Amino acid sequence: MMRTMTIRVLAAALSVAAAGCSSKPSQPAAPAYTPTEAEVEAEKAGTLSALAPANLNKARPTPPFDLTSNWFIDVSQDPKAWHFFLEPYPKLTPAAQKEYDASVKYDKEGKVYKDDIGQCWPAGMPLIMTRYWPMAMVQKPTAIYMISGFMNSVRIIYLDGRKHTDPDVIVRTYNGESIGTWEGNELVVDTVGFRGDHHWMDQDGAAIPAGEKLHIVERFRMVNDGKQLEIAFTMTDPDNWEGEWKSTKRFNRVVDTDIQEVSCLPDLNAHIKSTTSKTQVFQ
Amino acid sequence: MRKVLWSVVMAAALVAPAFAHHSPAAFDRTKKVTLVGTVKEFRWQNPHTWIEVEVPDEKNKSKLVVWGVELTSPTYLVRAGWKSNIIKPGDKVTVVVNPVRSGEPSGIFVSLTLPDGRELFERPARLGTPDSK
Repeated sequence: MMRTMTIRVLAAALSVAAAGCSSKPSQPAAPAYTPTEAEVEAEKAGTLSALAPANLNKARPTPPFDLTSNWFIDVSQDPKAWHFFLEPYPKLTPAAQKEYDASVKYDKEGKVYKDDIGQCWPAGMPLIMTRYWPMAMVQKPTAIYMISGFMNSVRIIYLDGRKHTDPDVIVRTYNGESIGTWEGNELVVDTVGFRGDHHWMDQDGAAIPAGEKLHIVERFRMVNDGKQLEIAFTMTDPDNWEGEWKSTKRFNRVVDTDIQEVSCLPDLNAHIKSTTSKTQVFQ
Repeated sequence: MRKVLWSVVMAAALVAPAFAHHSPAAFDRTKKVTLVGTVKEFRWQNPHTWIEVEVPDEKNKSKLVVWGVELTSPTYLVRAGWKSNIIKPGDKVTVVVNPVRSGEPSGIFVSLTLPDGRELFERPARLGTPDSK
């Protein structure tokens, strides 16, 4: 009798324990977020921040992938992949051809033509994506924040349904203004609003300017079971080349390195003497 | 096949620069200059670590020429065995560089021989590849 009771108690205890292991602990349903008065006002004005709780808590479809990771340009198939594009180049406009020809000429002479990045100007899009430094990407429901290991250049892709800023209001930048939309298993990113000075599509004997009319469409997708990110670029800039310029790049997921603080400090080039040497041609 | 592929990867990694602050086209990669001198300053920083080495002038040995040596970032140097205190001002070192094409006393780093005879190199950046550890 005693033994039977003991077995029953043990069985009941095991049953409770098993139930606890096999089912997920019940989570209380997240309470619906009530926007603050300030958020309601910002929503009406069309200025609700991508990081405002009212924006982050909006119901949205689950995206097909999460870019959150460190990524590094894959040069295993193409040693020059860190240069943005390779030949054949599109047909350049006369103004862009003049710059390109000058860079080829000086490169043959062992000189460096208008290396603005070396003078601490931002690499800008699209070159910032392929610098030989890892890039950290953090994905939220409303935006993707990218910080390059190269000069900590910041790029933000908004996913919250906003439109591009009025061209009369936009502050032009080297990385531009990026708006992303999910299409099937891909993220399609449209970027405009560039600065057109000291901004280049490539360097080292391939100086092709990037102008204010530069328009970049990127299609992001995950490949190799998420070990690689692929971005297919389509770019137009009627002031500098004809038609569409296309290229596809792959990036490796990096799990053993984080980006660090990197700045082009005033004393940097004083000691990186090649940047001020006679090999430099600035105009 | 695997061996061949790996050779391609290695070649790719060696061709690509381990830095990108400035154009590497200023350097003559076909030439090497061996600097035997004294460390004037060593700065462990991003995006480039650099060393200034005082080297006796070839024609006038009593005159010292300060060479600027440019290296990659500490992120990659650490993986090649470097530390921020591995050299200090006054250390006698031998540094091999690829010089700038203009003939000025400036070059990009190839190797360093420490006072104790150890030889250090940079480690090419190959993040996200099987060799990245």
